Amino acid sequence: MYLNPSRIGARLTHFSSFGVDADLCRRVLRTALARGADDADLYFEHSGSTSVALSDGKVNRASTHVDLGVGVRVVVGDQVGYAYTEELTEAAMTQAAEVASEIARGNKAVSPVALAERRLGDRYPTQQPWEGVDLETRVAMVRDWERRAFAADRRVIRVETSLGDSFKHVLIARPDGRLVYDYQPMTRGWVVCTAQDGEKKESSSANLAQRAGLEFYDEAHVSRMCQKAVDDTLLLFDASKAPAGEMTVVLGAGSSGILLHEAIGHGLEADFNRKGISIFADRLGQRIAPAGVTVVDDGTIPHARGSINTDDEGNSPERTVLVEDGILRGFLHDEISARHYGVLPTGSGRRESFRHVVLPRMRSTYMESGTLSPEEIIASVQNGIYCADFANGQVQIGAGDFAFYVRRGYLIEGGKLTRPIKDVNLIGNGPEVLATIEMVGNDLKIDEGGWTCGKDGQSVPVSQGMPTVKVSKLSVGGASA
Amino acid sequence: MSILDLARSTVERARALGAEEVSVSVSRSTELSLMRRAGKLEQATQATSRGLSLALLVDDRFSAHSTSDLRPEAVAEFLARAVAATRVLEPEPERRQPPLVECGRGATEAELDAFDAGHATLPVEARRVAGEALEAAVDALPNRAQVLSATVHIGDSSDESVRVMSNGFEGARSSTGFGAGVELTLEEPGGRRPEATSWYSSLHRADLPGPAFIADEAWRKAAERLGSKPIASGRYPLLLQNQVAGRILGVLGGPLSGGELHQQRSFLAGRQGTAIGNAALTILDVPNIRRGLGSRPWDGDALVARPMPVIEAGVLKNYYVNTYYSRKLGVPVTTGGRSNWVVSPGSRSPAEILRDTPRCIVVTGFLGGNSNGLTGDFSFGIQGLLMEHGEVAAHLGEMNVSGNIEEVLKRLVEPASDVWEWSGTRSPSLFFDEVQFSGT
Repeated sequence: MYLNPSRIGARLTHFSSFGVDADLCRRVLRTALARGADDADLYFEHSGSTSVALSDGKVNRASTHVDLGVGVRVVVGDQVGYAYTEELTEAAMTQAAEVASEIARGNKAVSPVALAERRLGDRYPTQQPWEGVDLETRVAMVRDWERRAFAADRRVIRVETSLGDSFKHVLIARPDGRLVYDYQPMTRGWVVCTAQDGEKKESSSANLAQRAGLEFYDEAHVSRMCQKAVDDTLLLFDASKAPAGEMTVVLGAGSSGILLHEAIGHGLEADFNRKGISIFADRLGQRIAPAGVTVVDDGTIPHARGSINTDDEGNSPERTVLVEDGILRGFLHDEISARHYGVLPTGSGRRESFRHVVLPRMRSTYMESGTLSPEEIIASVQNGIYCADFANGQVQIGAGDFAFYVRRGYLIEGGKLTRPIKDVNLIGNGPEVLATIEMVGNDLKIDEGGWTCGKDGQSVPVSQGMPTVKVSKLSVGGASA
Repeated sequence: MSILDLARSTVERARALGAEEVSVSVSRSTELSLMRRAGKLEQATQATSRGLSLALLVDDRFSAHSTSDLRPEAVAEFLARAVAATRVLEPEPERRQPPLVECGRGATEAELDAFDAGHATLPVEARRVAGEALEAAVDALPNRAQVLSATVHIGDSSDESVRVMSNGFEGARSSTGFGAGVELTLEEPGGRRPEATSWYSSLHRADLPGPAFIADEAWRKAAERLGSKPIASGRYPLLLQNQVAGRILGVLGGPLSGGELHQQRSFLAGRQGTAIGNAALTILDVPNIRRGLGSRPWDGDALVARPMPVIEAGVLKNYYVNTYYSRKLGVPVTTGGRSNWVVSPGSRSPAEILRDTPRCIVVTGFLGGNSNGLTGDFSFGIQGLLMEHGEVAAHLGEMNVSGNIEEVLKRLVEPASDVWEWSGTRSPSLFFDEVQFSGT
């Protein structure tokens, strides 16, 4: 039987996972600080991932990936020197520390104190960790998902399924004596379906992701994922192109949180504001949305893909209120931006891996529920579109323009959902769109999909959520004027 | 141990564990990047990195693996697990390696010229100086006072990799890369802060444009975004700027691939030999361009890399079919993925085309958007300019362009003469008849 290291107890496994000890960490930190830096950290990472995939009725592909290394960061004011190595010998780590410290030209004398472990609560306790799950079990799962998708409708002609899972051991050592360890599991299931109706073919997919072990794939989750892949595909047979031009848009609960992620989330990452390049840089304390709009970025939701027990600088993530009842209350901070603004870090310092520097990043971004029912909101729209399913989005931090792509939705005519539409890009300006949120539903839903956020070439897992929301005006990139 | 020895010994050990076919790649790279802002170095990153990747066929079952943990005992355990894991999959003989006779080098190292020998001896100081020079060029901009924030980036890397396959193939590649870029943010009344980036990369250091060129271009791009607004939805002629043409042409990427054809998810299925664009459109896949950013000696299967027409005079000539999908689909193998795309130019410059056009939208950038490979329908957010007889009439933003890629490519009127060579997509600006834009 395999024991999850997070439950064996820190002292036994932390260091042995990396083949280092506390004294070695302290010596490397001393080297990192030797040229007169304000701060430094060591970020050890040991990760493993496995995926199995089915296509053509066969479980015909598997892959595994192992990553091991340490990143050394040296901080002087808002300057960062960074180096990493995959070789966890004292010589290689010391060399990395020397390289990272080249940015420092100070005369400070920060000396690392003895490391003491900070115990964390666990937001993603794992009953059946993936390291203990054999490949046969995974193979049987993706086969079962395929069988369910084919069984759901006779028009289904192709099914591809895959299961990915990973774990990450993270150990962060700081000169102030902080030693923080985390075990970060992740899994994602994926079902891609292609269906044929006469001459017409359509394809769609569904995926579910969580920080969890094998236990995540219970009957409810699996049947929902497989059914959604088929349902979403079949709906496309009736869908036509969306109209073009400015119109009222209703965003369905759940994955439409992508609007928050792009329209406001990135603009509130404090590095952009510290540099004065965000459209929100000078708006703290100001009204940026109507009363009733509260937007939160939360690292603490149990098992959410965007949740973390510690951020990647060893700070505790919090539930950060960004917009409270329409007033801009705060930014997302890592330590550098927090120092710049004279506030506490929000536990938002994240990195893709030990090869990357820390940046302020989102975790799970969502809008709090309002009071209206989704039906009331739809009934209030004479002409508009309803967005149900989203693919991707992008923002320009300074101009505030943002876009997101709608895979599937409906026209709203006379207060009712009518014909389905598909494949349309929506574009707007963040502050303008926030100011024109007209209605907020009572049905907040955190989306279960596997969202990944990219910034400065780094990808991190995030979550997002939304209640049903009505926006008075967005530009819809449809087919006919 | 050299990376070649590591790759060879890994092949042998995997075979000893029971794998009948093995392909191993080992790479080693160094990277250095500097970022300057507000007169000082804000970030410096430097590292040496390595990794091993492995593809296995065990009893005709396929799997792929990679690791950066190259400690001998860790590699041994990794291999044993990889071979054992493969046995629980289902057999698929189509995964077998191509015969050795099809593998090899399409162009010599000298012809590709991908490695700048000066990289190894380039002092760190030279990068610091380059960063300072780029920042100085930004500070020398005539309109520097309107710049709210300027960040400059300098970076370079050196990679060497080897590939050893159990079919007898062995190959080594080395390449260098250099990059320089400027991000500018301007301010306009009302609080919007339009931003733009000018970024150049090359395989040789001497090929990078000078600091003033990059700074000027970043300024021009950012200034074009001042006061941008949507205009009325409708159909407008489109001049797609060369630097961003790859975004629209890239809609073809998925539908051209053997994987999507096999999964019946491509609108291009069965279209080989038929017109999918105007006769003015020719796209070649050219892997052997000297110092080309997408050049390569062999492809993902180690097949000899050869030039291939993708679209010739509007007619679809070839799909991207690797060894595996050629066996699955029962069609000849071409290559699994694109190298450089070279789009044939026309004879007139964009300025000449615009002068003769009463009204058109020049698309200079994209924001979000996506496409549907089963239909070819796309919808992208855009930035751009409304031009009237070659004069800028408005700065455009918050608009979308949408359509069907085949219909739009058939509306190509003429490619311009200005091929953009700083990308794996070497395209001129492309001028199209009316295309659907949505705005107000």
